[in-house]
Amino acid sequence: MLARHARYRWDGLRQQHQLVFPEGVLVLNESGAAIVRCCDGRSIGEIVAALENQLKDAPLESDVPAFLDRLFEKGLVIDALDDAKLGAANERK
Amino acid sequence: MKTGIPHASRPFALLAELTYRCPLKCPYCSNPLELRLAREELDTAAWKRVLTEAAALGVIQVHFSGGEPLVRHDLDELVSHARSLDLYTHLITSGIGADEHRLAHLRDAGLDALQISLQDSRPAENDAIAGAPSFEQKCRAIEAARRLELPLTLNVVLHRRNLDRIEDLVGLAEKCNVDRLELAHVQYTGWAFRNRAALLPTREQVERAAAVVARSRERLGRRPEILHVLPDYFQQFPKACLNGWGRVFLTVAPDGAVLPCQTAREIPGLEFPSVREVALQEIWFHAPVFQRFRGTDWMPEPCRSCDRREIDFGGCRCQAFLLTGDAGATDPVCHLSARHHIVEEALRESPKPQAALQFRTYPARTRGVVG
Repeated sequence: MLARHARYRWDGLRQQHQLVFPEGVLVLNESGAAIVRCCDGRSIGEIVAALENQLKDAPLESDVPAFLDRLFEKGLVIDALDDAKLGAANERK
Repeated sequence: MKTGIPHASRPFALLAELTYRCPLKCPYCSNPLELRLAREELDTAAWKRVLTEAAALGVIQVHFSGGEPLVRHDLDELVSHARSLDLYTHLITSGIGADEHRLAHLRDAGLDALQISLQDSRPAENDAIAGAPSFEQKCRAIEAARRLELPLTLNVVLHRRNLDRIEDLVGLAEKCNVDRLELAHVQYTGWAFRNRAALLPTREQVERAAAVVARSRERLGRRPEILHVLPDYFQQFPKACLNGWGRVFLTVAPDGAVLPCQTAREIPGLEFPSVREVALQEIWFHAPVFQRFRGTDWMPEPCRSCDRREIDFGGCRCQAFLLTGDAGATDPVCHLSARHHIVEEALRESPKPQAALQFRTYPARTRGVVG
């Protein structure tokens, strides 16, 4: 789940999804944003299942843990995750 | 007008310096050496307008700071207003005045996170640097924030006098169960520049500290998250000051002056427009002071042709001015600067452990001063 100091936000001015925390802002693409909004305590399997229903180009079962692992490295999500290759979420500090 | 100034990006973060009033006197404070009187502070309505304009301009996070922002009675109202604008709100405080009651109100007003400073791991040393008894209050503030489950960063400014206790500081952060620990070496501008002889660490201290941080991160994993801001006098390259002048960051000072950087008043010859007179958007995009060091066209060599020009943006303008007399010079911290010897000389000066600290002072009120 999302770390307490991290907050999801939609930026209407820049037309982008963001994850905001005290030291900066992470820009999210559509699937990244969808994953982040599912980070409420659900398991990875539950998130993947929820997204398969939601998104046309649903992230594969390997992409979700990869993306979450990247957020975990930044301290933006908490919970142990399996190691995986890095995902392709957009990023800008 | 110069050609080739890039279309300015929109700012991400606003530093809202609500006041220069503060009960403490830290000798490295980023507030100006000449501090203005409380009577000149922007009022509540003015700050709300600033926040509204900032959000419309593209600001995403607001850092409420000062001085000590908790001395403002309207802080809750400002946090609440910021929250209603979907701004991420972050309070930067000494912890003085941050009791559970106050923090609970701020949390309910919509505060997203806060940062509490500590000057040292031991009470006497902490109070000596802070210039006032404060250690106990700070610890109580930390505990209160934890009880309220407010995301909390513990901030410790590092310098010669406390660097040897960095391990204790990490231990304290761990014991207090803070979310994040920011260990920030002093940046030598403003008051810190004045006190440099007393604060500058040795290279050995800096290297030992880096080793402690590395070991601590191994041991602690993700909690607390440790941010370690290194002292650029000991680095090869300068910091990307502000992530670039007028690029993602702006400061509004207590009197309404808008600054690209909170220490920019140190640079002579710059004029800072006021939110009392001009709209924030107009200032950000068009004020000469914001344009002055925007992009790369203003850069001298070697910055101008350097691969790193959009990585560190030539370093810190205030530091360049303080060390070379020229705010447009390459930051001499950079080993590629022709004036890098200035920094080497500063490091070679024998450490002055007994050098007296000049503590930050807030001027006494005097009659008839308009300010």
